[in-house]
Amino acid sequence: MADAEREDAAETDTPNSSDAKEKNVISSMSDESGTLLRRMEITVAEAEKRTGKKAVNMQETYTVYLIETRPSAAVNGGQSVAPDALWRRYSEFELLRNYLIVTYPYIVVPPLPEKRAEFVWHKLSADNMDPDFVERRRVGLENFLLRVASHPVMSNDAILYHFLTKERGWKEVVYDTGFQAKADSRIRALNATFRVKNPDKRFMEMKHYSDELQSITSQLLRARARVADRLYGVYKVHGNYGRVFSEWSAIEKEMGDGLQSAGHHMDAYAASIDDILEEEEHYADQIKEYLFFAEALRAVCRKHELSQYELETASLDLTSKRQQREELATGIVRTFSFKGMTTKLFGQETAEQREARLKMLEEQIVEGDDTVKEKTSECEDIVSSGWEDMQRFKEQKDRDLREALINYAYMQISMCKKGIQVWTNAKECFSKM
Amino acid sequence: MSASTPKTLSSSGQKPIQEICHPLSAAEEAVVRTPSPDVANNTASIEDKDLSLPNGTPVDTSSPASSSSLLNRLQLDDDLDGETRDLFVTVDDPKKHVSTMETYITYRVSTKTSRVEFDLPEYSVRRRYQDFDWLRIKLEETQPTHLIPPLPEKFVVKGVVDRFSEEFVETRRRALDKFLKRVADHPVLSFNEHLNAFLSSKDLNKRAGLALLTKVGEGVKLVTGGYKLRLRPLEFAAMGEYLDTFTGKLGTIDRIAQRIIKEQTEYLAELREYGPVYGSWAGVEAGNRDNNAAVGVEEDRNHSSSGHHSNGNGLQAPLEGVAGGVASVAAAMEELTEDMSQDFLPVLREYVLYIDSMKNVLKKRDQVQAEYEAKLEAAALRREERTTVPSDVEKCQDRVECFNADLKADWERWQNNKRQDFRQLLTNMADSNITYYQKCLAAWESIIPLLQERPADSFGRGQDKVI
Repeated sequence: MADAEREDAAETDTPNSSDAKEKNVISSMSDESGTLLRRMEITVAEAEKRTGKKAVNMQETYTVYLIETRPSAAVNGGQSVAPDALWRRYSEFELLRNYLIVTYPYIVVPPLPEKRAEFVWHKLSADNMDPDFVERRRVGLENFLLRVASHPVMSNDAILYHFLTKERGWKEVVYDTGFQAKADSRIRALNATFRVKNPDKRFMEMKHYSDELQSITSQLLRARARVADRLYGVYKVHGNYGRVFSEWSAIEKEMGDGLQSAGHHMDAYAASIDDILEEEEHYADQIKEYLFFAEALRAVCRKHELSQYELETASLDLTSKRQQREELATGIVRTFSFKGMTTKLFGQETAEQREARLKMLEEQIVEGDDTVKEKTSECEDIVSSGWEDMQRFKEQKDRDLREALINYAYMQISMCKKGIQVWTNAKECFSKM
Repeated sequence: MSASTPKTLSSSGQKPIQEICHPLSAAEEAVVRTPSPDVANNTASIEDKDLSLPNGTPVDTSSPASSSSLLNRLQLDDDLDGETRDLFVTVDDPKKHVSTMETYITYRVSTKTSRVEFDLPEYSVRRRYQDFDWLRIKLEETQPTHLIPPLPEKFVVKGVVDRFSEEFVETRRRALDKFLKRVADHPVLSFNEHLNAFLSSKDLNKRAGLALLTKVGEGVKLVTGGYKLRLRPLEFAAMGEYLDTFTGKLGTIDRIAQRIIKEQTEYLAELREYGPVYGSWAGVEAGNRDNNAAVGVEEDRNHSSSGHHSNGNGLQAPLEGVAGGVASVAAAMEELTEDMSQDFLPVLREYVLYIDSMKNVLKKRDQVQAEYEAKLEAAALRREERTTVPSDVEKCQDRVECFNADLKADWERWQNNKRQDFRQLLTNMADSNITYYQKCLAAWESIIPLLQERPADSFGRGQDKVI
C-alpha cells in the first residue's frame, strides 16, 4: 500500500546529522499541489479524558485527542476507507510546533489553540476540563494540523507525517533530530537585546505591524468579552418577566391566557442567548488565532534580525582581523590597539612571534570569510523565503479574517431575526389580552 | 336615588344614569353596534376578520401596527355602547411661564363638545398642575363613591430631576392628558360641575368653584373615622385582595423593567468601547499598507491562486463595516432604553397610584357600611319604641347601596380600562423591541455587500460569495 511505502520512507529518514532540516524534507518546497493535505484527509475527531501517572507517583488527568487520517478521495479513487487513528495529547502538539519553529525559522508557523482559557466572560468557565473548552480546543488543533499540512513547505516534513501516522516512538524521533539544542540556543539569542545596523526595512515594518496586530486583537477580544457579559445579563433578566407574567395571569380573567403565553416567549428569549454566545465564541477563536499568529510573524522578523546581526558581527570581526593582519604585515598602526600599546610599552616582539601571529590571523581570516559567506547566504535565505512566506501569510490572514467578519455579521443578522420573531410572538399574545 | 345625583339631564338624548347600560356589570360583553370583532371574547386572530370602521370604511389590516390601533379605536367605541362621544379633551402645548414669584409650566386644555351643559362647543384654556390637583380634590369631595383617576406625582423626589426638562414635561403632559380623558370618559364624573369649570373658565377662580359647590349641594359629607367595619362583603374583599396582589406584581414588573434598563445601559457603554476597536484595527491595516508602499513593496493585486481576488488591503473595508454595524446597534439601543424609561415606567407607576385610589374608595365604602351597620344596631336596640325603621338609618342604607352600585360599576369599568391600558403598554414594549431589532438588522444587512465587495465591483454585486 502506498501508505506503508511512505511510512517506511519516514522511518528510514530518521536523521542523525546536525542538519536536521534537509533530511526531513521529502520533496522541495512551493508546490501546493503536492501538499500533504491534498493526498490525505486529516481530522481531530474526538477528545477523551485520561488519567495517568506522572512522575513521583502523582495522578494526573489530561485530555487526549484522536487524530484520524485516511487517503483523500483523489488518491483512493473515491473508495471509502476506514481511517487510521491515533491519540495525542496537547503537549505533543506543542512539541511538534516547537520542532517546526526551529526547523523552519523563516516560516510563519500556525499557532496552537490556547493552553488555558483567556478572555473569558463570566459565564464561561476557565476550566481546562470544561467540555465546551475541550471542544473548541479540538477544533483549534484540527485547524492547526490542516494549516501545517497545507503549507507548501512544512507539509513535506517527515516528522509531521510521523506525528500523524505513528503513535509510538514519535517523541524519541523528534528529540533525535537534535532540534532541542538548536531551540535552546535560538531562544537565548532571540531574548537578548542586540542592535542591528542594517535590518531589512520591510521586515522592520512587518515587525511593527505584528506588534500592532497583537495589541489590537487582544484589545478587541477583551472588549468583546465584556460586551458578551452585558448582553447575557440583558437577555437573562427578561426571563423574570416570564415568571411574573405567569403569576399575574393567575389573578386575571380575560388577560390570563395572553399573559401566560407571552411569559413563555420571554422565557424562550432569555434562553436563546446561550446558543448565540456559544456561536460567538467560535468567532472569538478565529480572532484569537490571529492574535497568536501575530506572535509567530514577529518571531520570523526577529530571526531575520538575529541572522542579520550575526552577519554584521561576523563581517565586523573579519574586517578587524584583516586590519590587524595589515598592521602586522606593514608595521603601520592605524588604529589604537591594545597590542600596539603593549608593544610600545614593553618592546617589540620577536620575528618568530610575529610570524606565528600572522599565520594565526590568516587562518582566522579564512574561517571568518567562510562564516561571513555562510551568514550572508543564511540571511539572504531568510529574507527571500521569509518574505515570501510573510506575503503568503498576509493574503491568508486577509482572506480568513474577512470571512470571519462576514460570518460575524451573519451571526448578528441571525440574532436580530430571532429577536424580531420572539417579540412579534409576544406582541401577538399581548394583543389577545 | 343616587346619593350624588348629577344635574338633571335634559333632553340631550342622554339617559338617566341608572338606565345607561355600562359595559360593566357583565364585563364580558360589550354591546356593540358596529361590525367590529367582539373584543372581549376575541380569540381568533385579527387577520381573520373583515374589519371596518364604525362609519363603514374598510380597514387595512396588513400591518400589525394598524391592527392594534384599530383595536384601540374600536375599544373606545365599545365603552360608550356605540354612542358617539360628545366630549373630547386634550392636554398639550406646554409652555414655561416666568414671573417674579415663580416659574411654572402651563398646558393648553382643549375641549370640543356638543353637550348642552357647556355654553360653547369649543374651549381652549391654559392650566397648570395646581389646577389639575384642585380638580382632582374637588372630584373626590363631590363624587366620593366614585373612583377618581390618579394624577402624576406632585413632587419629584428621585434624584435631581429637572422639572423643566423636555422629557419630564412631556411625561407629565401625557399623564395629565390621560387623567383628563379618563374623567371625560366617565359617565358620571364627566358631568361634574368642577370639570365643567375647569374646562371652560378663562380664569379658574378656585373660590368661585367653592361657591359653586355649595350651590349644587348634595355633596355628601362623609363621616370618616369612628366606625369600624366588621366584615367586608365577599365581593369587595375579593377586590381588595386582587388589588394587593396586583400591586405586588406591578412592583415586580417595575423592578424588572428598571433592571433591564440598567443592564442595557451597561451593554451600551461596552458597545461604545468595542466598536471603535474595529476602526482602530482598520487604521492599523491601512498603516501597514502605507508602510509597504513606502518601502517599495509591490502589492500583488492579482494573486489569485485560490481564485479569490483580494484588494491590496482586503481588511480595511470589512473592519470599518463592522465598526459601523456596532455603532448602529449602540444608537438603536440608546433609543430603546429611552423609550422604556419615558413610556413604559411612568405608565406603570401611574397604575400604582390608580390602585391606591381604588383602595381608598374601598375603604370609604367600608366606612359608609360601617356607619350604616352601627346605626342599624343602635336602632335595633330601640326597636320597642318604633315600628318603622328610622329615616336616618334608611338614608344610610341607601347610601350603602348606592356606593356599592357605583363602586361595582366603576370597578368593572376600571378592570376593562386596565386591560386595555396594559394591552397597549405591553404591545408598545414589544413594538419598541421589534423596532430595535429591525434597526440592527438593517444596519448589519447593509454592510454585507461592503464586506463581500471586490475592489472592482460596483454596488449590487455583493452576493456572489455565499456563506
